[in-house]
Amino acid sequence: MDTRVEKKKLSLRERYHLMTRGLGWEPTYQPTEKVFPFTAYEGIKIHDWDKWEDPFRLTMDAYWKYQGEKEKKLYAVIDAFAQNNGFLSLTDARYLNAIKIFIQGVTPLEYYAHRGFAFAGRHFRGEGLRVACQMQSLDELRHTQTELHSISVYNKFFNGFHNPLHWFDRVWYLSVPKSFFEDANSSGPFEFLTAISFSFEYVLTNLLFVPFMSGAAYNGDLSTVTFGFSAQSDESRHMTLGIECIKFMLEQDPDNVPIVQRWIDKWFWRGYRVLTLVGMMMDYMLPKRVMSWREAWEIYGEQNGGALFQDLGRYGIREPAGFRDACDGKDHISHQAWLTFYTYDPVAAFHTWVPSDAELDWLSAKYPESFDRYYRPRLLYLREQQAAGTPVANKNLPLLCNVCQIPMFFTEPGDPRRICYRESVYEGERYHFCSDHCKSIFDHEPEKYVQSWLPVHQIYQGNCFKPGTDPTAPGFDPIKAVLDYYEINNGRDNLWYDNSEDRRNFEAWTAEARGN
Amino acid sequence: MSHRLNIEPLGVEVEVEDGQTILDAALRHGIYLPHACGHGLCGTCKIQVLSGEVDIGNANPFALMDFEREEGKALACCATLCDDTVIEADIDEEPDARVIPIHDFSGTVSAVWNLTPTIKGVRIALNEPLEFQAGQYMLFHIPGLGETRAFSIANSPAEVERSGEIELNVRLVPGGAGTTYIHERLKVGDTVEVTGPYGRFFVRKSARMPMIFMAGGSGLSSCRSMIRDLLEEGCDLPITLVYGQRNRAELYYHEELRRLAEDVPNFTYVPALSEERGEHEDAFGGFVHEAAAQHFGGMFAGHKAYLCGPPLMIEACVTALMKGRLFERDIYFEKFISAADVQRLRSPLFKKI
Repeated sequence: MDTRVEKKKLSLRERYHLMTRGLGWEPTYQPTEKVFPFTAYEGIKIHDWDKWEDPFRLTMDAYWKYQGEKEKKLYAVIDAFAQNNGFLSLTDARYLNAIKIFIQGVTPLEYYAHRGFAFAGRHFRGEGLRVACQMQSLDELRHTQTELHSISVYNKFFNGFHNPLHWFDRVWYLSVPKSFFEDANSSGPFEFLTAISFSFEYVLTNLLFVPFMSGAAYNGDLSTVTFGFSAQSDESRHMTLGIECIKFMLEQDPDNVPIVQRWIDKWFWRGYRVLTLVGMMMDYMLPKRVMSWREAWEIYGEQNGGALFQDLGRYGIREPAGFRDACDGKDHISHQAWLTFYTYDPVAAFHTWVPSDAELDWLSAKYPESFDRYYRPRLLYLREQQAAGTPVANKNLPLLCNVCQIPMFFTEPGDPRRICYRESVYEGERYHFCSDHCKSIFDHEPEKYVQSWLPVHQIYQGNCFKPGTDPTAPGFDPIKAVLDYYEINNGRDNLWYDNSEDRRNFEAWTAEARGN
Repeated sequence: MSHRLNIEPLGVEVEVEDGQTILDAALRHGIYLPHACGHGLCGTCKIQVLSGEVDIGNANPFALMDFEREEGKALACCATLCDDTVIEADIDEEPDARVIPIHDFSGTVSAVWNLTPTIKGVRIALNEPLEFQAGQYMLFHIPGLGETRAFSIANSPAEVERSGEIELNVRLVPGGAGTTYIHERLKVGDTVEVTGPYGRFFVRKSARMPMIFMAGGSGLSSCRSMIRDLLEEGCDLPITLVYGQRNRAELYYHEELRRLAEDVPNFTYVPALSEERGEHEDAFGGFVHEAAAQHFGGMFAGHKAYLCGPPLMIEACVTALMKGRLFERDIYFEKFISAADVQRLRSPLFKKI
């Protein structure tokens, strides 16, 4: 009667195993070291590739079906948003400057990640790891594309959206994310995964993704929010890949521990420096704010990161060398960055402004220890000068850190009144750094970082003018020539929000939409 | 009202309260389901509903697509039960795990004796045969309190079958109502109720690897049951028990274990006394993890390790084992998830240790 039939079905794990693990083979007509030249040269010792634990079990056929459905949903929302002039329900057009930073500085990184994971998937041994990298490579390409499509709706109406990929390769502040990812992509496959999958996607991702996507949700940007939802189900796969990779390296050989530690030190700090832009976005650029940078750092950096490094302690890994200094910076970096961008807004492809009184009070409440003492007076001075018709613009080019490529505006840990300068001499040349940690990254691999393409140096060397430009011509304006080379529309893409075309248009259009 | 949830491929049944998510219920029963965001956005905890009915709750449409909803998929982190339900989850099958239904037993106390100044031995003759895996525990219903306490079975399955009795080792928790009752009021002839067997702490026999047992306090009970079970079955793999107490008076079953080590060539016994360092020639002075590190020369790779004892001991042992190159896949202990554990912020680095 009710006899229980013995189950013949494969479990999810067995099914996945059969659809991935059988895909590899041992090369016979070329030596393995020649087919996989990068698996050993970083010094990471792997004894048993089969000990790799698949962090997720998605087979390629399911992957296509799943992603195809997600696209359908996303593009339906993007279309509806565009057709109904969704931009009119944004809190304020100032918000769009956060999205400009996203499309200029983050979207191109998705494309770099696509390339990086394709490389890693090619060069790792072990089918589990290779399949995981291949899927992530496809995810990242899809993210590039869907981000461009989600955000492109604004290009029709607002400035600063029309040339992000051209800017990414040239504009000074975009060399910060660009050099970060090129550093990772020019590493070996294990360092690449430690840099991107572990340090960035796992340790720091909540500090990048959550602020941008919650910021979009808070400020009426349905298009970007929907992109965020469609990407989040991929992001969790990406994070687990990073965790598995770290565990795999640490468990395979004790000699891997110091190598991984150095990578964690390096990539924690590299990622943290890039996040300065996010901190500034959270504290200054969202008309309706989600939380302060300091609060986000305390939750995602100090609490979650603290728990992670406590657990990693079992492997003999300690917290990253720069962790304490990063915690010290939580009261300062967003303000220091915004003040710098304000004074360099004539050469940036987005707008800055002095916060309103209510916003200044929000900042005082969120930063009781630092804001009123160090930053409010400077912002009030900027406001005063702007009202007088003499906005403070910095016409000199700043000294950049040779590693993170951020202008040298960060202050000494423990002393926010003194700029932090470090330097090293290598083969007779002097190199400058914003911190002990950027200096130590350089000192470990100077051959790599002497090649940094530093935008300020390039401008001074005359490499950032269009062909045919004559710097000796009478009345030559170097700033205008650089903007021309950048293809930033002077007077529309750059300068302060208050007098911008974006502001005039948004106010006129919303008045028209809401009045008679 | 609560519903029953059967989790395949484990075949384990758990009780799910009204409004409690599948993920929460599984984790509280010590069953790890893969998960990440915890609120329906990422899709890591996707499960297949095989029968019954669930409310899929607040699952995001991108994390749980329409076609998946039609296929009966759900997200464990936000799905609740509307009926008794069977799900299949993405978890490892354990070839050594046996599925034994949980039963209520009544029994008669046949012996109560002092094992140490703080630990009592209790033997209970059960009214019907009990099947269990060495390492599992029973819930003891404290008379008049309306509450239960968990105690591992200290004798082997074969001995339970022969005698019809289970042995429990109960340490007096100062101020604890349950253990105080057992220490002060329980007597031979009392009728008691026990329910079980519970837990997923058992020996991975099919791995055929040398074993290290690390026990502290009354945690010796499950290790003793497991070791006796292995030896009765004729296991010839190296078995090492590292067993710690604060002082000699607390080191119960010391003589029995010492003799066992003399008689059985593949069994090694390493006692450790944390408060009497350097006072005894036949015991290591220090903690269990220190004794183990010394005995194995700091290298544990190539073993399976089974841990039972107070949380601090477990934590120290896991750290020592990992330092000695033995990792999560080879370390086992019973995870009693307390309210404090749920509160504590953990990284997703480890699944069970």
